[in-house]
Amino acid sequence: MNDALVVICLLLVAASATAAVAVRDPERQALVLAVLGLSLAVLFTVFQAPDVALSQLAVGSVLTPLLVLLSVRKVRRGAGPKTRRGTGPDRGGRDRTRPDAGPQPPGGRGGRDGATG
Amino acid sequence: MNGWLVAAAVLLAGGLGAAVWGVATGPLGRRVVTQNMTTSLVCVAVLLLAQGYRRPAYVDIGLELSLLGPIGTLVYARLLADDLRPDPPRAPRLTAVAAAGTAAVVIALAVASGPGRAAVKLLLVGALLITGNVVASRALAGGIPEEARHE
Repeated sequence: MNDALVVICLLLVAASATAAVAVRDPERQALVLAVLGLSLAVLFTVFQAPDVALSQLAVGSVLTPLLVLLSVRKVRRGAGPKTRRGTGPDRGGRDRTRPDAGPQPPGGRGGRDGATG
Repeated sequence: MNGWLVAAAVLLAGGLGAAVWGVATGPLGRRVVTQNMTTSLVCVAVLLLAQGYRRPAYVDIGLELSLLGPIGTLVYARLLADDLRPDPPRAPRLTAVAAAGTAAVVIALAVASGPGRAAVKLLLVGALLITGNVVASRALAGGIPEEARHE
């Protein structure tokens, strides 16, 4: 029974982590990150590590979304304090916020190929 | 074979799988509501795991989650208030179902653990969870007053 629980939790963590990478908007990414933190906490519980699950819950469910949302707010306010009131039309014009929260560009691929080959 | 662990596995596979799908797609209001419901779901699953493993110390994880989960949802309700204002997400039926399910599972766990401090702790966790879920749902549905939204 425990093996089935471990498999279920691992699949859930993989699915939510993939979703967190695939979602592009940082605010929605914060929501997926919260669910990822919760599924990681369940995984640690299933692995009989309740202390790790406790700290993962504190960090994953409150601190990470708070940091992400506050950073997004700060960047948007610095980009244009007057355009912050309108939520609709100014969303597409600010591409400066996208590379900050997106996945990092692959930089070490050449070195890894050289090490394995 | 342990019935509590089977119940936790079914709850995780069905509920948390649907929650991952719901939080990754769709409009912003549905995602926030899904994140709120995920707190109740995971807390109940952790309580079931604690009973299934026969480790009463694992109830502490559920206690922490019942305190911190609604706070996390309130963070979203506060910081995403500008985006949620045109179409505030209301899910009274889902909230009622979550509260009823939480109450049923917690009462079953309290009965199974027998009278004593453990049962009182389980009932406290359940009460905190239901209260936090209702408060967070009302905050998402526009419960934040207008004067609190300034900056």
